Amino acid sequence: MLRIAIVGCGKIADQHVQAISRVPDCQIVSVCDREFLMARQLGERAGVSHCFSDLGELLKTTSPNVVHITTPPQSHYLLARQCLESGSHVYLEKPFTVTASEAKTLLQLAETRGLKITAGHNYQFTPEMLEMRRLIEQGFLGGKPVHLESYYSYDLGDATYVAPLLGNRSHWVRQLPGQLLHNVISHGIARLAEFLDDGLVEITASAHQSDRLRNLGGEEVLDELRVMIRDKSGTTAFFCFSTQIQPGLSEFRVCGPLNSILVDQVAGSLIRNQKRACKSYLTFFLPPLWSAMEHLRNGRRNILNFLGRKLYQDSGMTELVRRFYQSIRDGTPLPIPHREILLTARVMDEIFSRIYSGSEVAEKEQTEFSVV
Amino acid sequence: MDAKYLVSPSDRILVTGSSGFIGAKVVETVLEYGFTNVRCFVRPSSDLSRLKEILGRSQRGDGVELVCGDLLSRNDCEKAADGVSVIYHLAAGFDKSFAGAFMNSALATRNLMEAFMQHGEPKRFVNVSSFAVYSNLKLKRGAVLDESCPLEDAPQERYDAYGFGKLKQEELVEEYGNKHKLSYVILRPGTVFGPGKRDLSGRIGIDTFGFFIQVGGSNLLPLTFVDNCAEAVVLSGLKAGVDGEIFNVVDDQLLTSGQFLRAYKKRVKPFFSVRIPYALAYWVCALWEKYSKWSKGQLPPAFNRRRCAAEWKGNRYSNRKLRERLGWRPRVNLDRALAAFLAQFQSQES
Repeated sequence: MLRIAIVGCGKIADQHVQAISRVPDCQIVSVCDREFLMARQLGERAGVSHCFSDLGELLKTTSPNVVHITTPPQSHYLLARQCLESGSHVYLEKPFTVTASEAKTLLQLAETRGLKITAGHNYQFTPEMLEMRRLIEQGFLGGKPVHLESYYSYDLGDATYVAPLLGNRSHWVRQLPGQLLHNVISHGIARLAEFLDDGLVEITASAHQSDRLRNLGGEEVLDELRVMIRDKSGTTAFFCFSTQIQPGLSEFRVCGPLNSILVDQVAGSLIRNQKRACKSYLTFFLPPLWSAMEHLRNGRRNILNFLGRKLYQDSGMTELVRRFYQSIRDGTPLPIPHREILLTARVMDEIFSRIYSGSEVAEKEQTEFSVV
Repeated sequence: MDAKYLVSPSDRILVTGSSGFIGAKVVETVLEYGFTNVRCFVRPSSDLSRLKEILGRSQRGDGVELVCGDLLSRNDCEKAADGVSVIYHLAAGFDKSFAGAFMNSALATRNLMEAFMQHGEPKRFVNVSSFAVYSNLKLKRGAVLDESCPLEDAPQERYDAYGFGKLKQEELVEEYGNKHKLSYVILRPGTVFGPGKRDLSGRIGIDTFGFFIQVGGSNLLPLTFVDNCAEAVVLSGLKAGVDGEIFNVVDDQLLTSGQFLRAYKKRVKPFFSVRIPYALAYWVCALWEKYSKWSKGQLPPAFNRRRCAAEWKGNRYSNRKLRERLGWRPRVNLDRALAAFLAQFQSQES
């Protein structure tokens, strides 16, 4: 039975509690928040009696095997280091750390201590992403990806999130080097990091503020981002983050030399685009029908998964937690390789250095890329 | 002004949530009572149009101080509570998550009470809560729901983050009242309606599935017109001898949900709705709740027996305590209140 602790008892902690409850052989033994009342309210609802306002006390008193850190990113590095130093494995919410150098230090520390650490890139483990990985392993693309596209949108209509941060310059989101983008784009970047080489030779990024955000009093916050990346082996990637695109978009396209895959994470579907020759007007008749068949297949699978209690609104987090715990128990490889976590952090550093000039983060890290 | 009131007209009054539907009306009522030293606390992101309109109308509006901040910041709370004698605390968290609701309701209230005790001249803390804190699961249909009724003991099962936040907020207020001798009153308004609030109450039915489902129809709504509610709020901050008391706020004359919906359809717009009896709604909610548990939250328990009872069971409501202890009388009768509520739709159409 793995003993689990949660540090940071805000909104996202509830999602962790639910995901953990679906994974066998584990139990939440303690919760902690700098604001003790927050810890107590979560403890009451989750049936956890050990509530703390000090992480050191929690680690000493309850000796958890795994600590889930769900605090604002600025505290991730120090809290995770403290947990690793006391011998606990760590699940660290996204964004993993504020800078890539912090990420690197944490990953090295975990390796040195023989402990496991993962990032909260839970959307990498939704059923359609798992199917994509399976197809790629089977050689569906016909080789290394040639081009990747990741789209991620965020609806500013949810005023409960945006309003407090826009009205308050000292809000923790506003204190991040990439501000609003820093807190939301890691899911979209992590998709690319899985298939890109470490050696990136080109990154261009441009960002601006949407009229919608300006009307909400967005001040200096940027919310429209476009990024182009090329790695050493020639794989290119495009990333788009938008608060304006409707309907909401969360898509990942992997194009191979033979076939391509399109994953739609809003609809939970995966479309296989296969190279099939059609003659004459059949070019216009058959491919739409094949696409329709793909959509039908997805609809059928999702219904069956729902009925079979395999499909949850946050399936990705449950699956990531399950795989992470399994990796701890069996000593099997981590669900997210360290390389991907670090590359995600490095790409984010690069992006923010380009769109927010004068960012200290960027200046420190830029030398690690041979960027054109 | 009544000489028996706790404060004099020049004492400083703070209203939190003052740009909101009830809060703005409370500000208006406080000014009508003759208070000249009124401070309004608003969030940086608040829409101030309603409040500004009221201040523009009032003769004493120019003297009202606006303080902008976040009640989760202790500094902002200190700024707000400095030199204040009475706090009308109406700011509410409408976060959908339990943690968010707790933070914006309970934590914010804790910060405000501490600032009040340290930097104010505390005479009364008025905590505006909600009917959402009650549980009528074990109450019979038609029984009277008053201040003595049990509180919700499983807000998570009811899947009501707002009610959870309000419950915890009340607990903290009582704790500070008992431990630190802070004079407080808790008000629990029912369904507050009036111009400025356009939504139909969830106690009438739901439109989650693309069309309106009216649940029951004979269930009485715990209505209180916004002017009447504001009057109760203001009085509770002024009257002596009611420390630590809890008051439900409902008007004298009430409507059933069926009557309210008919009036709405007739005067605002006709629309398609399906009516289902309470017993069927309860059965569906019980089934939904069971599936949610069995599937480990595959469907959130948005429909459950506790919510069903709270929203649609149909109880009777009493304002006896409010009348007897606070001397409250409704400012506006039901006919005029309903006409004012419905008129907002017509004036917009024209």
